[in-house]
Amino acid sequence: MRKVGIVGIGTTQFRSRWIEKTYFELAFDAVKSALADAGITRDRIDCVVYGIYNDFFERQFQPDLFVHDYLGMAPKPAIRVSTGGATGGSAISAGFAQIASGLYDVCLVAGVEKSADCFDYETGKSSPEVLKAISYTADMTYEQPTGRTAAGSFALTTIAHREKYGNPTELQMAKVSVKNHTNALLNPVAQSPIALTVDDVMKSPMIAYPFKRYDNCLYSEGSAVLILASEDVARTLKKPPVWIKGIGAALDWAVIGNRQDLYSFESSRIAAKKAYTMAGIHDPVEEIDLAELHDAFTGTELIAYEDCFFCNEGAGGRLIDEGVVMRDGKLPVNVSGGLIGCGHAVGATGIMQANEIVMHLRDEAGRRQIKNAKTGLVQSIGGPGAAWTVCLVLERDEK
Amino acid sequence: MDKQTFLLWAERNARRIGVKKGQVIKAFEKEMMAQAGSDAPFEIPDTMHVNMRYSYGGQSRFFREILENKRLMGTRCGTCGKVFCPPRSHCPVCYEQTAWIELKGTGKLLSYTTVYFATSSYIKRVPYIVAYIKLDGADTAILSNVEMKDIKKAQVGMEVKVMFRKQRDGRITDIYFKEAQ
Repeated sequence: MRKVGIVGIGTTQFRSRWIEKTYFELAFDAVKSALADAGITRDRIDCVVYGIYNDFFERQFQPDLFVHDYLGMAPKPAIRVSTGGATGGSAISAGFAQIASGLYDVCLVAGVEKSADCFDYETGKSSPEVLKAISYTADMTYEQPTGRTAAGSFALTTIAHREKYGNPTELQMAKVSVKNHTNALLNPVAQSPIALTVDDVMKSPMIAYPFKRYDNCLYSEGSAVLILASEDVARTLKKPPVWIKGIGAALDWAVIGNRQDLYSFESSRIAAKKAYTMAGIHDPVEEIDLAELHDAFTGTELIAYEDCFFCNEGAGGRLIDEGVVMRDGKLPVNVSGGLIGCGHAVGATGIMQANEIVMHLRDEAGRRQIKNAKTGLVQSIGGPGAAWTVCLVLERDEK
Repeated sequence: MDKQTFLLWAERNARRIGVKKGQVIKAFEKEMMAQAGSDAPFEIPDTMHVNMRYSYGGQSRFFREILENKRLMGTRCGTCGKVFCPPRSHCPVCYEQTAWIELKGTGKLLSYTTVYFATSSYIKRVPYIVAYIKLDGADTAILSNVEMKDIKKAQVGMEVKVMFRKQRDGRITDIYFKEAQ
């Protein structure tokens, strides 16, 4: 297997709505900046992987066809990946395989998503119709008709976890919300940079018990792109490459009732373990300098601390209480603001997270730079109750 | 667009996508304000809509028994003995065909959530409970709605029993659950 490096990155702003851009125009902007960042032109791209989640969001089935056309990438080979919230992580994983296998030398991985063109005429709002478009991802035969929402599927796990371990508590979840909204204040692409208090979170209206409004990420529109290259090529380009040292992925039972236990995300545990084994990581808290975890909901981030082996099962709440995961803590989590602070432009999210890590490893993260960062973790989850997880360990060379 | 053209445009589009004219007018007032030749984003009312006739295939009996006999069924693997509800025609471990069995319809709540903000199809029903219920005699859990007077009293481990709606139309929502006592 060949070594694979990230050699270029580009991320558009994440916004509640990009009314002035179509999905293919958004992708174009991020691709253009990623090419510039790598110091190459589109002729150097051998193949493309598109990460686009929901066809309703784009008002287009197979939207990859028309992004490819708009980018002028014809007739290069391309595939589209769609694994719910994990789409970005899966797209990077698919791109990795293209290069590691020796099939191609340079692969463009482009994630993009709209969503707010979905519109509910009766309430005059986007959100209920966005949720409806997502609901078709739930099992249509037995589960979707019950009216369970995306938040609902993660709420079910959080309640089961609380039943078993007594946490995450309402207060611990609120602290995560405050941390991520506050971290986003330093991120120029973030959708929700808000100086919040724990009290603001606790008093916000209930969305899906136990998640309140500020426990949830917001749907975003945006694009995030990275360029992967083989070691030979990567070493000739202008920026120091960031290597993909470990990849782990799993797809658990999607009908959550078929799982052995409801209180943890088995897919996340398996994916993290595999990524650590491949990267040679034995003690994640000691060896990882920062992590971007999939905080679609605050409770999910707290469970992710356990699933990524930052602590024992049931002890996730302690890491926020003790400040371990704060930006000045031992293992900062979601310095970008995460999905809660930066936003969730589904197909782009996992790539946005990876790009955040790349910026820190290159010492390019400006005011939010984590000093001397050498190793970072990305966790990308999606589907009902985190059916899909992809974990990536990213590392730079010694300086 | 001038006002007259805008109103006709709104009416035609409202009919095309099946919503009220007033709702289109409200959502697209900006369209009327924009000048011809300007670069302001141009939006149109639209919808994606496909009618279906969906076959339940090997799962058919489950839905027909609920609709016609108010009977809740599961399936059992003859090799490993595992009982599935929701039913599966095949055991995912042994890869053998399963057999239908009737379930008593009582069970326990494994976990739940209360939905306060829903999709546009369900927003009028909030708040409502969605829960995983492990039926007595089954090894897997089914997602369903639990209806109770005080929704704040829902809790993990609660004993529930299946209920059949008076008007049933062959969908999974023909059943729901209530507290057993």
